[in-house]
Amino acid sequence: MREGFFFMIQQIVKRDGRMAPFEIDKITNAIFGAAQASGGQDHDMAQELAEQVEKTLEETAGTETPTVEQVQDTVEKVLIESGHARTAKKYILYRNERTRVREMNTRLMKVYEDLTFKSSLENDVKRENANIDGDTAMGTMLKYGSEGAKQFYEMFILDPAHAKAHREGDIHIHDLDFLTLTTTCCQIDLLKLFRDGFSTGHGFLREPNDIRSYSALACIAIQSNQNDQHGGQSVPNFDYSMAPGVRKTFRKLFRDNLAKALEVFGEDDNNEVDARALTERVEQETGKWACLAGGNGYDEAMAKVLSETLDEKTVAKCMKFARKYADKETRKTTYQAMEALVHNLNTMHSRAGAQIPFSSLNYGTDTSPEGRLVMEQLLLATEAGLGNGETPIFPIHIFKVKEGVNYNEGDPNYDLFKLACRVSAKRMFPNFSFLDAPFNLQYYKPGHPETEVGYMGCRTRVMSNVCDPTREITYGRGNLSFTSVNLPRIAIRSHGDLDWFFEDLDRKIDLVIDQLLDRFRIQCGKRVRNYPFLMGEGVWLDSEKLGPDDEVGEVLKHGTLTLGFIGLAECLKALIGVHHGESDEAQNLGLEIVGHMRQRMDEATEKYHLNFSLIATPAEGLSGRFVKIDREKYGMIPGVTDRDYYTNSFHVPVYYPISAFEKIAREAPYHELTNGGHISYIELDGDPTQNLEAFEAVVRAMKEAGIGYGAINHPIDRDPVCGYTGIIGEVCPRCGRREGEGVPLSKLQKLGLYKNYNSTTIGYHGDPAEEADRQPNALKIVKK
Amino acid sequence: METKNIAAQEPMIGEGVGFERIRRITGYLVGTLDRFNNGKRAEEHDRVKHSVSSCCSMRQEHTA
Repeated sequence: MREGFFFMIQQIVKRDGRMAPFEIDKITNAIFGAAQASGGQDHDMAQELAEQVEKTLEETAGTETPTVEQVQDTVEKVLIESGHARTAKKYILYRNERTRVREMNTRLMKVYEDLTFKSSLENDVKRENANIDGDTAMGTMLKYGSEGAKQFYEMFILDPAHAKAHREGDIHIHDLDFLTLTTTCCQIDLLKLFRDGFSTGHGFLREPNDIRSYSALACIAIQSNQNDQHGGQSVPNFDYSMAPGVRKTFRKLFRDNLAKALEVFGEDDNNEVDARALTERVEQETGKWACLAGGNGYDEAMAKVLSETLDEKTVAKCMKFARKYADKETRKTTYQAMEALVHNLNTMHSRAGAQIPFSSLNYGTDTSPEGRLVMEQLLLATEAGLGNGETPIFPIHIFKVKEGVNYNEGDPNYDLFKLACRVSAKRMFPNFSFLDAPFNLQYYKPGHPETEVGYMGCRTRVMSNVCDPTREITYGRGNLSFTSVNLPRIAIRSHGDLDWFFEDLDRKIDLVIDQLLDRFRIQCGKRVRNYPFLMGEGVWLDSEKLGPDDEVGEVLKHGTLTLGFIGLAECLKALIGVHHGESDEAQNLGLEIVGHMRQRMDEATEKYHLNFSLIATPAEGLSGRFVKIDREKYGMIPGVTDRDYYTNSFHVPVYYPISAFEKIAREAPYHELTNGGHISYIELDGDPTQNLEAFEAVVRAMKEAGIGYGAINHPIDRDPVCGYTGIIGEVCPRCGRREGEGVPLSKLQKLGLYKNYNSTTIGYHGDPAEEADRQPNALKIVKK
Repeated sequence: METKNIAAQEPMIGEGVGFERIRRITGYLVGTLDRFNNGKRAEEHDRVKHSVSSCCSMRQEHTA
């Protein structure tokens, strides 16, 4: 023991309260490290300083065992007092960084604790995405991975300036958990994929041969691609993609029914072999198949061949029979195929089983009888609903509206447009996209469906292509990543100074461009084998030209790097006290702000020769996040931070009373500016199936106003006990029960329900009357 | 779910069973409001209807 009154330090108290031996070398090393970081080399000096620290500690701590924090405070004090200012600064920086990392680790563990022990009802993190069930094992595992990845990237991958802006809510880097892994979404051209078959990575599937296989493989393609990307999956040409399946099905069913007819009317015992041989011969001679619409010469040729062995009357009977039943059975098979597709897309799993694929189907413009049949049956299956008549949640249907194709009476698919309105009035899908909006029409080339704009479910749109102007198309492309700016924050901080507002907006846009480029560089370094389906099967444009070990950067350039924004309404409120729904001045300023952002994206496109675009952000998790931070920072500001959400992109606030047509007129000009995607919603009251005229009027108003993509919302409630679907207030209009209440069996039976109720059917069932309604209510397919 | 109405000794159907309320969230539909996060839940609550009265006879009502 040393002389004097001081106790020699032998132990220190660690942060977790445990004791550890005091080691002076650790102090020496920390000081030497800080000195090296500022250019110093003197190890002896570091040792001397460490001894000074020990001495000071012995003087100040007395008999108490010093804590780690006390030791570090003393190091700082000694460094400063002895004139080592630069080393002291480095030491403090290092210490702060370690503190931040430690806090993050603690925070991550707290997040994990909540994920583990709280239900999704108590835990908002588990409800970040409504289509992930956070209460399941796989859903929770997904969140562990996601939350851990976010913190890892924040600490070690992101540029600290980007991390800070994201953390503090100036910007929001969407899908941060996938930062180093993949890209957002893709429009899958199924026609190309099905040609000669494809592999899912787990097995090879040959080219499908009837409509049922076509629809089943469509689901598998969506599911497989969903596992390679973090966003949604869309089919841009569902009608065109499925039509060959119907063609093949009809051909087969015509042959099968011809065989039956030969047996019945022609007394042919070798009928199946004969039908096969006859079909082969006629197909070879005419170069045609039996087809849904007829009129291609096949029937006449077949009749002629049949008449070599059968009399005229028998030939006519056989032909009539074959056509009648081939037609009927093709229709039925197509309905079943579409029904199975809707069921599959609502039940099949992706991402470790926690999520059903986020699927979208675009269709509306194929005027072939087969394509039309596909759309008709898909719409009818959607109208009928799931097993107990429930509204299907997926896929998102997007009906492409086009003048001359389906918009006006006399257009070849006008009947399907009407049907789309009827189904949407009941099921909220389809949404409607408008190919005649000038910014969509400029790409449209008749006869080239790849030039028809396709939307990705929630709104993403990819059309122009600076990297290859010969391919300004929808197929095989998608968004790479997007980051949103917090518009209301900039407005609050500007205190009404518009010049400052635009300057700060520019600073934020610069930051976002920089961050998108950083992320793009990471994405470019990935290889084809990292995306076995998206790239390995040639789904992404030009990826078929790459080998499994090639980097994907060159072909990723077909995708978009996108700036987004939310809360234009709150931004305008903060700037001038009114939003664009209530004032023309605000509308003009709103257009100026969004127009400026678009201009900056166009400039970045030119500068970097990459597809930068502006999106009206579909804020789900973000809607509450920005405002929560802003309310803490800036307090409760009426009209700005006084609700629990910022308004979606450029929308007129949901709480503001405005007519449907005025809302459409106000929002339409923003569609042209947001080339990375947009959507407008109208909320209809009442049951729109009772007023299809009004429903269609709203769709037409959207088209005439120059909206690119729109949808109509209305309440869809359902009582699982009596099966009533419609609007339910407090009381079910059919069976009269309140939520959670029981209803007497006799009452249900009086309504024609539960007729077969007995001890083995205890429980609540779908409404049998509604089941009976689920007959395909066919439109007349116009024969060409 | 079956329980007995004690007075009538009659089976009651549906006790504890809620109504399904399907709403659109971020472009897609959700079968129950329970899955909405807090911000979206507040937003859904505030939504008002947009009248189409200038064109067709649909009931006009603001419910916020």
